[in-house]
Amino acid sequence: MNAKQIILSRLGGHRTPPAEYPRPAIRTRPFDDPVQAFIDALRTAGGEALFVEDTASLDTEIIRAFDDPANIIDTRTPVSPTLETMERCDLAIVEAAFGVAENGAVWIDPAERYPRALLTLARSLAILLPCEAIVPTMHEAYERLDFDELAYGLFMAGPSKTADIEQALVLGAHGAMTLKVFLTPISGQSDFISPKEKQ
Amino acid sequence: MRSEESKFVDHFRNAEEFLKDPEQARWHDRALWFVRQKRDTAAASVPEWEELRRAAETIKAHTLEHLGYYLERFEERAQANGIEVLWAEDAAEFRRLVAEILQRHGASRVVKSKSMLTEECGLNPHLEARGIEVTDTDLGERIVQLAGDRPSHIVLPAIHLRKEQVAEIFSSHLHTDPSNADPSYLTRAAREHLRRKFLEADAAITGVNFALAEEGAFVVCTNEGNADLGTALPDLHIACMGLEKLIPSARDLGVFTRLLARSATGQAITAYTSHFRRPKPGGKLYLILVDDGRSALLQSSRRELLSCIRCGACMNTCPVYRRSGGHSYGTVVPGPIGSALAGTRDPGRYASLPFACSLCASCDLVCPVRIDLHQHLLDERQQTIRVPEYRGKVRGLKAAAFLLRHPRLYRQSIAALRWLLPRLPRSLIYNRFNLWGREREMPSPAPRSFSELYQARQGADNER
Ligand code: SF4
Repeated sequence: MNAKQIILSRLGGHRTPPAEYPRPAIRTRPFDDPVQAFIDALRTAGGEALFVEDTASLDTEIIRAFDDPANIIDTRTPVSPTLETMERCDLAIVEAAFGVAENGAVWIDPAERYPRALLTLARSLAILLPCEAIVPTMHEAYERLDFDELAYGLFMAGPSKTADIEQALVLGAHGAMTLKVFLTPISGQSDFISPKEKQ
Repeated sequence: MRSEESKFVDHFRNAEEFLKDPEQARWHDRALWFVRQKRDTAAASVPEWEELRRAAETIKAHTLEHLGYYLERFEERAQANGIEVLWAEDAAEFRRLVAEILQRHGASRVVKSKSMLTEECGLNPHLEARGIEVTDTDLGERIVQLAGDRPSHIVLPAIHLRKEQVAEIFSSHLHTDPSNADPSYLTRAAREHLRRKFLEADAAITGVNFALAEEGAFVVCTNEGNADLGTALPDLHIACMGLEKLIPSARDLGVFTRLLARSATGQAITAYTSHFRRPKPGGKLYLILVDDGRSALLQSSRRELLSCIRCGACMNTCPVYRRSGGHSYGTVVPGPIGSALAGTRDPGRYASLPFACSLCASCDLVCPVRIDLHQHLLDERQQTIRVPEYRGKVRGLKAAAFLLRHPRLYRQSIAALRWLLPRLPRSLIYNRFNLWGREREMPSPAPRSFSELYQARQGADNER
């Protein structure tokens, strides 16, 4: 018997498929203002959210918010930077699919558009998120997610952080030291329904 | 009951050791209580918190009930995604598998993110003995690794060390200024040092927080991003999980991602909640399913201990843990859950752990999966009281039980003791037979007992 067979035989009666699985349904309370909740939660997580009134000025606003970064990698069009370029990267601009109001997290899936490593090697992250793409809680977040095409994706809530030395919070343990989310106006392309429309 | 080679872990004595530095002990107690308070605030901010806990308990119980089914389903789905799934019956097989994979790929430098399983299985020393360098990349774990120490908490591995001690450790290994104990300065130094390790690594090892049977994927939660950076660079990733990390599907993740960080540190979610479903293009992704006693635990009355999601909340809240430190338990996982688990593995060696508990049940109330921790510890006492180390205690309790069964004798003894105690020299009262008096002063006896006072009040002059 190989290890798998041994383990499965030890599990004995626990191998029957469930007749049914009544997945517990959680009743969540909607946020009055999910966008504001997202902004507050992100601040608590050590990040910052900024409104962009006019998409035309987005690039200028990003540059201004990060104090003229020298090496920028913009992933709005697919890129394949070398490891050296990524190591030197001061700022990576990435798009998030949606955000979560209760915790300030954004869902990022690099897919084939840029290397996974960019998300942790870049010193700072500018994350673009359409204002209407904010769901209330993680339950709605996972309802949104489609795993069929996924290789690797993550919820990122604020910059990398640690409190391992005397519980003192330090931002930028390994990954991004600063993380700012730019809330862009409704793009018209999103399949999200704004919370207001829903009511 | 005790295996020959196992050495009795005396929590009581170890705690004494920890308490020798009262200033540090006080700091430890307060720091963890602060984390507990942050947890309370985070939990209170979610109106449906109790509903979430019940859901988590239900999902875990359901998955455990059908664990074999879900494991096979998970394997099938994960393989379809290009993940190579391997099974290990015990720690030795697990260590062998990891070493074989690394050697086959010619990997000699490994970056590892936090995984209690690899600690449990003694992976690092095994790999190091084979010339493989393993770098723990979680800051707290790196600190204890450099110090040749062990983690004392599952979420806050270096909580037993003060910043001055970290400054000392770093100055001898990373050549930082020994007089600079500023956490930001030290963290920056570790960042530079570990960044080089990440860039040089040939392989990454990670733990698994949740594995998804339906999707054949798994989730790793960190605050530092070390699992993400570690796995993003080298082409080889080995993920290690105990059988119990499985849940049916990603649709159950909402419950767990909402509970985990709030219970652990009071954060709404960890900074990185990363989902791995396929290897990187050109990369290789292995996942090792480890039993190491879990299937036996599943068949026992302690089954619900397998629901634990390793948040550490029961440690932060435990009055004994906070005042005795993680190392006093002599286990990889300390605190209430650690004591309960240790008892299922070696009740003789860990006989003192169920007694490292005030039965206040605070752990039950904070546990996000609602494990009845204090009940397990109470039950385990029945077993562990039988070890030779507790013969004295058992004799004392038997004598007390005898006295309590014989009211007359009891009253006579009380009367005698009341007369005797104030007259006996200290050395006769406080000696090695008085286990209770090791840490406590005996109360000074009241001039009259309760029943005497009662009878006097009732005007009764005769005993029945
Ligand atoms: S037993 Fe409960 S509280 Fe303790 S670590 Fe596990 S999940 Fe957390």
